[in-house]
This record gives sequence, C-alpha cells and structure tokens, in this order.
Amino acid sequence: MSLVDLMSMAKPNEELRKKILQKLHEELAYCFQCAKCTSGCTAFKLLELVPHEIMRLTKLGFIEELITSEIIWTCATCLKCVERCPQNVSPYHVIIALRNIAVKQEAKIPEAYLKAVSQILETGLAQTIEKVTTKKMESLDRQKLHLPEIKHPTETFRTTFLKILEGHEL
Amino acid sequence: MPNIGVYVCHCGLNIAGTVDVERVVEYAKNLPDVIVAKHYKYICSEPGQRMIQEDIQAYGLERVVIAACSPRMHEETFRKTVAEAGLNPYLLEVVNLREHCSWAHSDQPEKATEKAKELVRMGVARARLLEPLEKRVISVEKKVLVVGGGIAGIEASLDLANAGFKVYLVEKAPSIGGRMAQLDKTFPTLDCSACILTPKMVDVAKHPNIKLLTNAEVTNVSGFVGNYEVTVLKKPRYVDEDKCVGCGLCTEVCPVEIPDKFNEGLSQTHAISIYSPHAVPKVAIINPEHCLRLKYGKEVCGKCLKTCEAKAINFEQQPENIQLKVGAIILAVGADVFDAAKIPELGYGRFKNVISNIQFERISDASGPTGGKILCPETGKPPRSIVFIQCVGSRDKRFHEYCCRVGCMISLKQAILAREKLGGDVEIYICYNDIRAFGKGYEEFYRRARDLNINFLAGIPSEIRSAPDGSLCVTVYEKVVNKLLEIHADLVVLSCGIVPGKDFNKISETFHVSRSSDGFLLEAHPKLRPLETSTAGIFLAGACQGPKDIPDSVAHASGAAAKVIELLSKGEFEIEPLKAIVNPDFCSGCGICESICPFDAIEMKAETVNGEKLVAEVIEVKCQGCGTCASACPTHAIKMQHYTNEQILAQVHAALIAKQEMVK
Repeated sequence: MSLVDLMSMAKPNEELRKKILQKLHEELAYCFQCAKCTSGCTAFKLLELVPHEIMRLTKLGFIEELITSEIIWTCATCLKCVERCPQNVSPYHVIIALRNIAVKQEAKIPEAYLKAVSQILETGLAQTIEKVTTKKMESLDRQKLHLPEIKHPTETFRTTFLKILEGHEL
Repeated sequence: MPNIGVYVCHCGLNIAGTVDVERVVEYAKNLPDVIVAKHYKYICSEPGQRMIQEDIQAYGLERVVIAACSPRMHEETFRKTVAEAGLNPYLLEVVNLREHCSWAHSDQPEKATEKAKELVRMGVARARLLEPLEKRVISVEKKVLVVGGGIAGIEASLDLANAGFKVYLVEKAPSIGGRMAQLDKTFPTLDCSACILTPKMVDVAKHPNIKLLTNAEVTNVSGFVGNYEVTVLKKPRYVDEDKCVGCGLCTEVCPVEIPDKFNEGLSQTHAISIYSPHAVPKVAIINPEHCLRLKYGKEVCGKCLKTCEAKAINFEQQPENIQLKVGAIILAVGADVFDAAKIPELGYGRFKNVISNIQFERISDASGPTGGKILCPETGKPPRSIVFIQCVGSRDKRFHEYCCRVGCMISLKQAILAREKLGGDVEIYICYNDIRAFGKGYEEFYRRARDLNINFLAGIPSEIRSAPDGSLCVTVYEKVVNKLLEIHADLVVLSCGIVPGKDFNKISETFHVSRSSDGFLLEAHPKLRPLETSTAGIFLAGACQGPKDIPDSVAHASGAAAKVIELLSKGEFEIEPLKAIVNPDFCSGCGICESICPFDAIEMKAETVNGEKLVAEVIEVKCQGCGTCASACPTHAIKMQHYTNEQILAQVHAALIAKQEMVK
C-alpha cells in the first residue's frame, strides 16, 4: 500500500490486511461509517471502544496498532452492533478476528483471558468453582451441598481444546 | 356600492398561529360595503372554496376579498372559484397575510394582527373599484426552437417531433451529443453511454420533423409567447454538409495539429477534423483560427482540398443568418465542468497526472485517446494507485456553494471502472466529504463500489505535491480514524462539479430569462413550475436549470416538451387581460412610454383624426402588464388594467387613513 500514517510513520500491514479481508471481506467492505455501532456500544462509555474506527483502521490495514492495544479486549460481546447495523455487518467478528491475530502473534493479551484459558484446561469450565456463603457466614462447597462432584477433564479434551486454539486462524 | 365578502384563511397555523384571525374578521365586518366576513382553516380546500361560492349566491356578493397566502400561490385557484359561482374572476382581491404578515412577524402576534387588519382594509378598498375583465385569445405558431443538442435537447426534440410539431434544433458545437457523448459508461447500470445515446442522435438527424442546425447560435429573439421570431447564425464549416461523407481523409493530410476539444485536450486533432467518432452530422469542419489557408490566404496549403474525393471542401462558405418563426422555445443549453485550474493547490494543469473526471471519461472510453486503456497521461503507464478527490469546486464557498449532484456517483463509477480494467492490485482511494448516492439504484451502486475493495477516506486533501519518485503526494486527515495519512498516487482524479455555462450571460440576455444566485437559469417556481421560465413560452430542460445527471435531464426534457405541447396543441391560447390601455385623447405623443417599455410592447403611431400627431399604441400580445408605462405617462393617458391609478390610490388612502374613520 502506498499509504502512510504521518503521525507515527506506520504503514499498513499488507499481509494481515489481506488475511483478514479474505475472511471478513463483507464485514469490512460494506461498513459505511454511520457510527451506529459506537453510539450503542456497551464498552464505549466505560472503556472507549470505538467499533466504527476499528472497522476503518482494519480496512486500511493499520492492524498492528490494534492488536497491540488493549482496546480490542474491551468488547463485551453483547452483539448490539451486529443486531443493529444498517449494513448487516459485524464489528464483533472483526474484533474477535483481531484478538485471534493478537494471540497468534503473542501480542499483549490481558491476564484475565489467559487465566480463563488455563482454567478451562484445568477444570473444563470457564468459571472457577465457587463456594457459597450463607447468611450465617457458613462456607459451603459442592460436597456439603450434596451436589455431584465435577470431574477433571480428560487428556483428550485438553489436546482437542489446544488443537482448536492453535488451528483457529482468525 | 358593491357587496363585498371577506374571507380570512388560517392556513393551518401558518397564519392563525400568529394572527388572531377572529379579530381580523370582526374588524372586516365593520368595513364599509362588507356584508359578510368569515374565517376558515384552509380556504383553498374544497369545502373552503364551496363556502365562498355559496356566499356569492346567498349574499349576492359582487367583490370577494381573500386574505390568505401570496397571490402567486393561489390567485388562479380562487379566480376559478369565484368564476364557477358566476362572478367575473377579476373581481377577486387576494390579500397576502402569510408571506407579508404572519411569517414575517411571527415573534410579534399583536402587531401582526393589527397589520393584518390594515392589509385587509386596503384590500377591501381596492376590491371596491375592481372592474370585470375578459381574457384574450391569441393564435400560436406550431413550431418549436430547441437550443442545445445534448441529451436534454435531443430528448425534448424527439418528443416534440413525435407529437407532430416541427422542431428546429440549434447546436453550437459541430455535432450534437453534448456532454453525454464524452462519457464512457453511465451510472448506476454501467450502460455504455454511446450505445444508448448514438441511436437517439441518429434519430434526430433522420426525423422528418426535426431541422438540425449545428455549428450555429441563436443571436436574436423577438416576439412573444406563441409568436417568437428567432435569428440563428449558422457559422461556416467550410465543408459542404451534403457532399461530405465523413471519411476523414482530409484530417489525415492536414499538417496543423491542435488540441482535441472532444478529448478534453488529452490528444491532438487537426485544423480540419470530424468532431467525434460518433458525430451527427458526421461531417468534417475546418477551424478557421488554425487552418493555414483561412489564416494566410488562397495559395497556402490546400492539402485537404486535393484529397477530398467528394469535393466537399468549400473555403468560400459564408456565415448565414436564418430567420425562424416559432411558438415556443426550449433552452437545453447544458452546463460546463468546473475548471480545476482555479484551485492552484490541487496542481491541475501543473501536474499532468492530475486530471479532471471528464478527462478520466475520455481515457476510459474505447473511442478515446488511449483506446479505453486507463493510462497516466504523463508516463503512458497504467497507474498502480489512484486517488479520487471529491467536491472540487462544489460545496466550496470560494467557487460554488451548491452540491454538484453527480460528483460522488461519477467517482464511484470511475473507481469501479478502474478496478475492472486495472485488476485487483491497483489501490483506489476516494477522499470524500459525504457520499451522496440519492437516486434510484444509486445506494446499491455505492455498495457495489465498496464491495470492490475501494478505500474510502473521510476527508479532503489540502494540496497535491509531487514526490521525488515522480508520483503525486496526497496528504489527507482521515476523520474516522483521526490520522493524517499520506498517499503516493500515480493518478489523481478531481471530481469537478457542474457549473453554469460561460455563455449564460449572453443566453440570459438573448432569451430574457433570469439566472438564480448559483448562476444557473432560473425556473418560474422551484417546486411548482420547474420547467418554465418567467418569460411565457420559454422553457428549460436539463442541466442549464441546475446540476442534473442523465436520468434527471431526460425527465426534465420530456417534461418541458410536454409543457410545450400543452401550450401549442390547441393552436391558440388565453392570456391575462392585465395590459396597458392608451387613451388617445390624453396622449401627447411624447414617446416616454415607448422608450421605457421593457417588452418593446409600445409603438408610436401617427394618427390623423384630429390633425397629425403621434399616439402610443400598445401591442396587446407583447404587453406583460408590468405598469411601467402607466406610472411614467405624464398625462395619465395610460391605464394599467386591474391596477388602475384609482384602485392603487384607494389602497394607499386606506393604508394612511386613521383606523376609526374607515369603520362605519
């Protein structure tokens, strides 16, 4: 691309651009920047996620700055943007694709996400198994509540899970 | 004294929201001769009109005063209303309570109500003195002059000719076709422009009802609606139109090279040439400014003369004045493309690879200078990156405030053509302000462009510079991503807007048509009479009235043709009786009226009844009823019908007199 960002002298990453366009061409091409996604974005008010800006930056190929920033991890995946987009495109899918690239490139990933992965590998669950505290400040675990014990995932689950993670291109 | 009825319209809340209509009605009831006064929500509605008609019968009304919107809006409507009830339509007075009162004083309702009362009082005073008048009938010439042979002029001419009218189509260029003939493809269907235009051009040339006059200009127009006399100057081609077969051999031997106007200066043609590949008529023309023989005398050059087998070349041809009588005129004179050289920061004219959108059309056109291959003018190579810049000369207070209405669609189309012709690897950027895709199928076309990996950048570059590597350096602040971006482009296309023609001043004088503030020719009413000018019998078609794309131009032209048919089909038509009348006994023959009449409607005639003297005579059909003569006449010999001195003075008195005195 004969394009350069004069403030940072960054150039579009042509390889990543092509890769992401190949998979998400329709999402990126048809966006016409009405900014409805940002107007309704749950994460914008607290965390300043600007979906429509991400769409155009990605389309132009300024992808590196996105995958190294924390902003793509603030999406709450509420999917309002997808539901309401007048062009039927999905900023959500673009953001997820950017996250996948970030993982692939071992860029900065928020710790909570890494924790979640190890949690799944260990327990098979996205959430940790919590204890319940009663009004009398009594701590009860599953055993005390007479709930069946949760088994640890099998080795097959772990290998399959890791395989999926690695095999996922975007 | 006559029985007068007064009707005050609410116009929804347009009037009643400011003016207390009930108080105005109460006031009107007490004015002398007023025997009924009412208000109504919408007098122009069917029940509103019926109310007045019933009152005319019930109260024996002899004059009707309607206080409503501007008479320009509904005077005709209300004249019909009273006429249907048996009253002469000129016994109606319309008082403008909307434009002249409620809209102007919406912040002062109390004072507006007082003003409304006074306006009504004035209207009643004039109404009392109104006289019944009859419309006049004049015969019309069933021939039409169409000026301009672009798509609008072609469409109007064919419609009229097919309806059986004789049409004179005058075109100043050597061929008809206009701007559309220069285009490659048309949005939003990507039809080939020549494929849909050329057959129509041929139809024009072949139509028995159309007389085509190319290389010609209208130099004088006199007369009036239904009976115009037109002088057309047919400039010499120096080639006999009947003999020339359009073989083009003469062009090949001509030693003089000049820039090709049809190709927007991107290629060279010769002093003798055929205007365009699809020219109609396909006849050569000699440019007298460049031809060696026409410049330096009889013995010089003459190569074309020797080559032409048809013996068509005639250096003796003279300009010819042609007199035409027509009933109506359609101006389809088109418009120009903005000259980007006026914006020095864009480098147009300085950098060969900065081109206008019309030049891009020529480059992309199969019959253009590159045979349809998109190549950079400077290098002759296909561009690897193209930048389109929108709103050049339009939406720019320094040049033209309006939106050109076609720039966005043209750039989308050209970007699509570039993608199709140059393949997927070429980088295409469109720097835009807003993308305006408003017509039928246009938004879908915009989506199609987005599908083709065209990069849209929200922001307009401030300048174009040349980079050391020979490319063009375009810097633009992209307002979506908030970045200052720099693009190195091989080709920059400026989306130049549609601007009023250079000769519009002359046209406006010749045809007595006004121009709007944007410079285009002015229609009689922007919404309700978009096809007519304020001069009766002269109509507008196409982009001369304002920027238009092809579908709009064609629709406008067919509309203008239909208006002409409406006007001329009966062979005669009625005109307003608002004209000046001379009392010969009072006329001193001074001739002041003749000298100031803007319509040449007064002639001084010798009269011998009471000894030899000059007497002013009004040419009825020419008189537009402006009243200039009546106010200038030193002996009050001229009476302006429907606006007599007595009527106007009564209004003035009513305006000045103390309020109480008028009330009975």
